Amino acid sequence: MKLESTRTAATKALIQLAEKDPEIVLVCSDSILVIKGNPFVERFPDRYFDVGIAEQNAVCCAAGLAACGFTPFMTTYAGFITMRACEQVRTFVAYPGLNVKMIGANGGIAAGEREGVTHQFFEDLGILRTIPGITVVVPADAGQVKEAVRAVAQAEGPAYVRIGSGRDPVVFEEPMGFELGKARVLKSTGQDVALFANGRVLRRVFEAAEELQRTGIGTTVVEVHTLKPLDVDMITEVLDNTGAAVTVEDHNIIGALGSAIAEVAAEAKPAPVIRIGLRDIYPRSGTPEELLDHYKIGVSDIVAGAQKAVGMKENR
Amino acid sequence: MDERIAKLKKIARTLRQDVMRMIHLAGDGHPGPSLSVTDIIAALYFDIMNIDPSNPSWKDRDRLVLSKGHSCPAVYAALARRGYFSIEELPGLRSLASMLQGHPDMNKTPGIDTTSGSLGNGISIGLGMALAARLRDQKYFTYVVTGDGELEEGVVWEAMMAAAHYQVGRLITVVDNNEMQSGGPVAKISGLYPILPKLKAFGWHCQEIDGHDFGEILNSIELAQREESKPSMILAHTIKGKGVPFMIGDNSWHKRVPTEAQLKEALLALGEDR
Repeated sequence: MKLESTRTAATKALIQLAEKDPEIVLVCSDSILVIKGNPFVERFPDRYFDVGIAEQNAVCCAAGLAACGFTPFMTTYAGFITMRACEQVRTFVAYPGLNVKMIGANGGIAAGEREGVTHQFFEDLGILRTIPGITVVVPADAGQVKEAVRAVAQAEGPAYVRIGSGRDPVVFEEPMGFELGKARVLKSTGQDVALFANGRVLRRVFEAAEELQRTGIGTTVVEVHTLKPLDVDMITEVLDNTGAAVTVEDHNIIGALGSAIAEVAAEAKPAPVIRIGLRDIYPRSGTPEELLDHYKIGVSDIVAGAQKAVGMKENR
Repeated sequence: MDERIAKLKKIARTLRQDVMRMIHLAGDGHPGPSLSVTDIIAALYFDIMNIDPSNPSWKDRDRLVLSKGHSCPAVYAALARRGYFSIEELPGLRSLASMLQGHPDMNKTPGIDTTSGSLGNGISIGLGMALAARLRDQKYFTYVVTGDGELEEGVVWEAMMAAAHYQVGRLITVVDNNEMQSGGPVAKISGLYPILPKLKAFGWHCQEIDGHDFGEILNSIELAQREESKPSMILAHTIKGKGVPFMIGDNSWHKRVPTEAQLKEALLALGEDR
């Protein structure tokens, strides 16, 4: 499996942006190593602020900088942004619509891997999705992180980009292009069932789609990298075409992609939706791929989920 | 100086009257903590701050972060009387169509520099503003007005450490030290006191004043402005409900609505007829 660090990718993109835009600054909470950010610090020492191990302070401080016209990127582990500093994100960044961009590392159980639950964050997206006014992006790999960081920098307003551990599998061998807020079909072998996914688990979804094709089930693989704003029209269209869906994500099955697709299905195009993800339990330490298998986010789980969804559709 | 003080006394009386009327009409709000901070607010908006009411988003203006956002009636009154918007807006406090939210909203009310209301976050936001000024080589001051009770929040101390570390001399915090919080006396609820020795140990420039003495307010802020390498803390001793005798010593006025009769009594005490 080819690996490329989503953390290094985030820093590379930030440096490129900062070269062109003097308003871009970086706020950390003793988290510069989290994004391997020292090259940024060396290049722009005055535009880097480390406020210590103090995430709430980092978020408010970024809000103050943004209120004075800067575009602060604030970065640390996903859960320390979205849980430790959740209220600051909501009240002082999202509510006033300030231009603070947050990058959360160790998003998902696979990215938290051997650290254990304290550093495995599978609630970040669900939490942020309930807060009005934040763009929420889940890039699939390092290449897409670069595109996502550029995209959120260019868009006005609060944003969150989820990144991984630094040992992140390459999902796309070639650059795919990236349009913020747009879901897209990555692969289609038919319309028996839609496979909605985002993040590193897309690799598993591709594998499952091939296996399903061999058993005669045609799939439409849809990447939903922007969870908010959600591309409701596109998702509705896919549900209309397929009539059944599976969601695959490295997150609790409550709150993020699975919930989002189920919400669209319930309101716009009723269809069975099988959610593949962490089933509302605490995971353990382990290696990433082993963790995903153990917690039923494996290729066989996706295949079984698709078969179940198709069966439910046919029995309606 | 005497002239400045006389002017501020007069303005503060008007602001206190406004506060009482607003909360009475709204049927909701925090009169006690609005009145303890009124003199500090009056001094900042009507004497100290370099601001332009006709251009609320002027880049070089001094900033004010009202960390104790529940005292916003005093700030709304000051903004209206200073000309940011019409005093006709004041009776709308907390009503659906009004620009005056229950707690400050920087996008709805001209002159409000920061959304606030959840306690403890002001110093941290002020730090960001002070860092922004330094980065652009701007000379504005950032004033943060906090309560004493809210210093119990953890993020306050995160910000205090970072502000001292970054040596932001243009960050000036005034504590409306009225010794009371929602649930009762600060000293009874927490181990917060004494405040200044802690701040001194953190490396802040510290002063202690009577928060209802305009001479002391003006002098202490001018002194704080001259401190270039340390953030400043001015501990201003104040009285919750200041100016309205029946509120003093009765913490139920932290959040309570004056009746018609109480409003009259308050306005009389505040010298409406004078």
